[in-house]
Amino acid sequence: MVHSELSRRGFLAGLGGLGAATILGGCATGSSSDSGSSSNSTTLTLQSSLSDADPKAALTKVVGDYTKTKVTLNTIAIETFRAQLPTYLNSGNPPDVLTWYAGSVARDYASKGFLLDVSDLWTGNGACAGFSPALKELSTGADGKQIFVPTNYYWWGLFYRKSAFQQWGVQPPTTWDQFIALCKTIKSKGVAPLTMGTGSTPWVASGWFDYLDLRINGAEFHRDLLAGKHSFDGPEVKNVMEHYKQLLEFFDPKGRSYSWQDAVTPLASKKAGMYLIGAFITTAVPSNVVDDLDFFRVPIIDPNIPVAEEAPTDGYFASAKSHNTQGAKDLLSYLASPDAQQEFIKLSKSSNLPTSQKVDTSAFPPLVQKGIKHLNETKAITQFFNRDSSDELQTTADTALTKFLDKPGDVNSILSAWQASAKKVIAS
Amino acid sequence: MTATAMVDIAAPARSPEPERLGRRKRRWVFHAVMIPLTLVWVAPMIFVIVLAFRSFDDISQNGTAAWPTSFSWDGFSTALGAGNMGRALWISIQVTIPAVLLSLLLASMAAYALSRYAIPGRRAILLTMLAGNLLPPQILLIPVARITESLGVYDTLVGLIAIHVGFGLGFYTFVLHGFMRSIPAELTEAARIDGAGPFQIYARIIMPLCRPSLAALAALATTWIFNDLIWSITVLRTEAKLPVTAALLNLQGGYVSNWNVVAAASIVAAVPTAIVFFAFQRHFVSGLLMGSTK
Amino acid sequence: MTTTTLEAPVAAPAGRRAGGARRVPKVVWLFLLVPALVEIGMVFWPALNSFYISLTKWNGLGVAQPVGLDNFRALFSDEVFRGALKNNVIWAIGFGGLSVLGGLALAVALNRPRRGVGLYRSAIYLPMVFSLAVTGLFWRVQYQPDGTINTLLGAVGLESLERQWLADPTTALYAVLVAAVWRQVGYVMVLYLAGLKGTDPTLDDAAAVDGAGAWQRFRFVTWPQLRGVNTVVFAVTVIDSLRTFDIVWAMTQGGPYHSSELLSTYMFQQGFTFLNLGYASSIAVVIFALALVFIITYLVRATKEGADT
Repeated sequence: MVHSELSRRGFLAGLGGLGAATILGGCATGSSSDSGSSSNSTTLTLQSSLSDADPKAALTKVVGDYTKTKVTLNTIAIETFRAQLPTYLNSGNPPDVLTWYAGSVARDYASKGFLLDVSDLWTGNGACAGFSPALKELSTGADGKQIFVPTNYYWWGLFYRKSAFQQWGVQPPTTWDQFIALCKTIKSKGVAPLTMGTGSTPWVASGWFDYLDLRINGAEFHRDLLAGKHSFDGPEVKNVMEHYKQLLEFFDPKGRSYSWQDAVTPLASKKAGMYLIGAFITTAVPSNVVDDLDFFRVPIIDPNIPVAEEAPTDGYFASAKSHNTQGAKDLLSYLASPDAQQEFIKLSKSSNLPTSQKVDTSAFPPLVQKGIKHLNETKAITQFFNRDSSDELQTTADTALTKFLDKPGDVNSILSAWQASAKKVIAS
Repeated sequence: MTATAMVDIAAPARSPEPERLGRRKRRWVFHAVMIPLTLVWVAPMIFVIVLAFRSFDDISQNGTAAWPTSFSWDGFSTALGAGNMGRALWISIQVTIPAVLLSLLLASMAAYALSRYAIPGRRAILLTMLAGNLLPPQILLIPVARITESLGVYDTLVGLIAIHVGFGLGFYTFVLHGFMRSIPAELTEAARIDGAGPFQIYARIIMPLCRPSLAALAALATTWIFNDLIWSITVLRTEAKLPVTAALLNLQGGYVSNWNVVAAASIVAAVPTAIVFFAFQRHFVSGLLMGSTK
Repeated sequence: MTTTTLEAPVAAPAGRRAGGARRVPKVVWLFLLVPALVEIGMVFWPALNSFYISLTKWNGLGVAQPVGLDNFRALFSDEVFRGALKNNVIWAIGFGGLSVLGGLALAVALNRPRRGVGLYRSAIYLPMVFSLAVTGLFWRVQYQPDGTINTLLGAVGLESLERQWLADPTTALYAVLVAAVWRQVGYVMVLYLAGLKGTDPTLDDAAAVDGAGAWQRFRFVTWPQLRGVNTVVFAVTVIDSLRTFDIVWAMTQGGPYHSSELLSTYMFQQGFTFLNLGYASSIAVVIFALALVFIITYLVRATKEGADT
């Protein structure tokens, strides 16, 4: 029915007004003046999901240095933020600027008209004009307009402690066979070769899935798989799972109770050998271990497949309903500026890389230098499972992969169940 | 029947049973069962308290279950400082006190009307009101966010108080109704003959008699509202306005493996309700009879 | 105006309080109307909206498309939903049963004043003041692979019983249940202590003099007098089991792979992580329907008993 939306809105507002009269009538001290407090358009609101201590402190400092407009920084725990993001964007008085990810998620919101067109930042003297074409493509909506401002990205790799490898007399491998041999050597020393926290952060299990798929079937197949063009119970994915199965005996079994952060502890204390994780790992290791940390590329399985790496991109978008669009764009320009990027990366203690080519990275630690080189040498870039698809498809992966870690023998039924739920998600 | 119930509430203290022969052995058994049980019961709390006072290095080197080898206030200073738990406590107080008072005021009004007057369909009304409280809160989240927004109270403490009052009303009314029904009609009848209006009867007779159950409900409502998570994250989006439980969740996201900070913050979140509870303890036990003696 | 909708065609019980209360003064209507409107505005109106949303496909942004009963049809072919429903039944029985049995037993044991009773009582009902999030956190620490529970099991030579309690699909739901019951038992105990205080001690003593054993006295003397408290306990337990969300969310988020999923967590995930608001609302409607059955049965019984006396 045509009028159903109208009537539903009326439905909501009608009794709402009745409720208001009641509430204010019943509450002697209640006054309607409270309601106007947040409609001041001269102050900008920046809604942030960066709830970890160091990144939060870093963004607080960066925003505090912004003088053009007063900015209120709201930091909300990431899971709550994810849950409420549509509500934020859809509210009558939304936050002006929000932290989030480039890729399909941002594109999805843009297609619904909730994101501010920031194309002018990408042209002329705009803050993002000098960014790479790949970043521009990631920040572009389906209609060709830019709706995202990327400010940093990072790489994934197999992290290990240099001193531990020295102690065990082992070297980083480059091929799959070397890698399996390395795992066996480490295991023979009574150490868990691999750590992985899939308890409260089951998405970590997708790291190995993504990489094995990239190494065996290549980036193009991987992207198509996540877009629903291939089947999760097809022979290609079964082959991926065969390789995954080879790793299972090497994982620290306690990992399935850990968060990704908890799983760093065995690595740091040399009770585990390696961890496939993003460069954000440096925020979770004790400061005296950071310099001992190194990483290597996930070993090559099929030399004929072009090397691909995961490099997720973070940044900001602005709400289309912002009451101060110029102010929001100015703030975005500031956040994308080389100085702000550099300061944020430094203070957040992450090993993230700046998106601005004007940031002088020569002073960055050797690990980060290596990360830059690592990505420069790769032929194809993907983001991560959820960013290349959706948070909903990610949960189908979480279910399938954590179940697989427990019951690898059921792999065929797990994959067909995965395909069924993925199909449902992609169709919706 | 109702009169004896009243006497029980008014005089809950009862002299101890006279000592009987053969009880000594039974008492020994009683303590032999209760002491270990109590220890098991408090063990998780003791453990969290100990954890809160250990240093981060101690925990990360020796694990959470190890015997403590350190003593440190770092957990608490981080929780109250960078974790903003102090500010969150103050917000929670600002929300909880008006919400509890307003809930009880409105619930007692409704209960008074429903229990002392022949309002048509009062059972259906009471049932409906209680059913409202039993709705899964999740069913209300999205519409509530929209409605508070249309009222201009989204992201304000007023909005949060309003939803707490609305959502709790049904249960408080139900309990108070049960209690008020047990108050003998003769009491209010006498006042009515003396010329007291409905309002005077409510304020001068019913409310003072309801004091024990109001106190008990206040303790109950305080713990519910203070401990709420889901409404505050639905109605509020500004970090500086988050009450304790939501702030604790925020803090957990930031200090994932800093178990001492998380333990300290959860103790900070638990202490105020513990204080309220023990202050109201006697009311709680005597008042929770709540007219359900029928 | 609004109250007319509330006046269900239930005949007003005239006669019992006929003396003076037949005509309802205007101010009394106001006493009822103000709270009723608050509840309507903040609860019933939003709930009605949710019922409407359950008949639509809506992602929270843009227009909700009416789809009739499609969501409900989809529910019954959804394996996760069926699993959650089953878990919810286990949860209701386990949570309700264990906390009522434990609470009642403790209340009976701790009813009579004896030395140490105050201390025991306080220790047992202290957990009920903690929020579910705090409780979940407390227990997550204990259930860690190297946490207290496994450490204790190891210390007494029961290594074979060590588990990854929250990560093992066969134990996760029960591990959360233990934490929830730990918090709830004290609460139920308080309610029964209150109820026992209202019982007539002379009856118990008389039965004892007549030679009745402890169990017989409890079964035939004390228990019948607790009928009223039972209804309150029932109401509170139903409310609390329906609110069971925070603790599961804090401890397992329904995992591993949905093995500790309850209807409310599944609903939350559908609604807030996936933005399937229509589908999520239909789950909420199912929860509501289940609750309604319980509460109506309960209230009907309560009013019947009230009328009998």
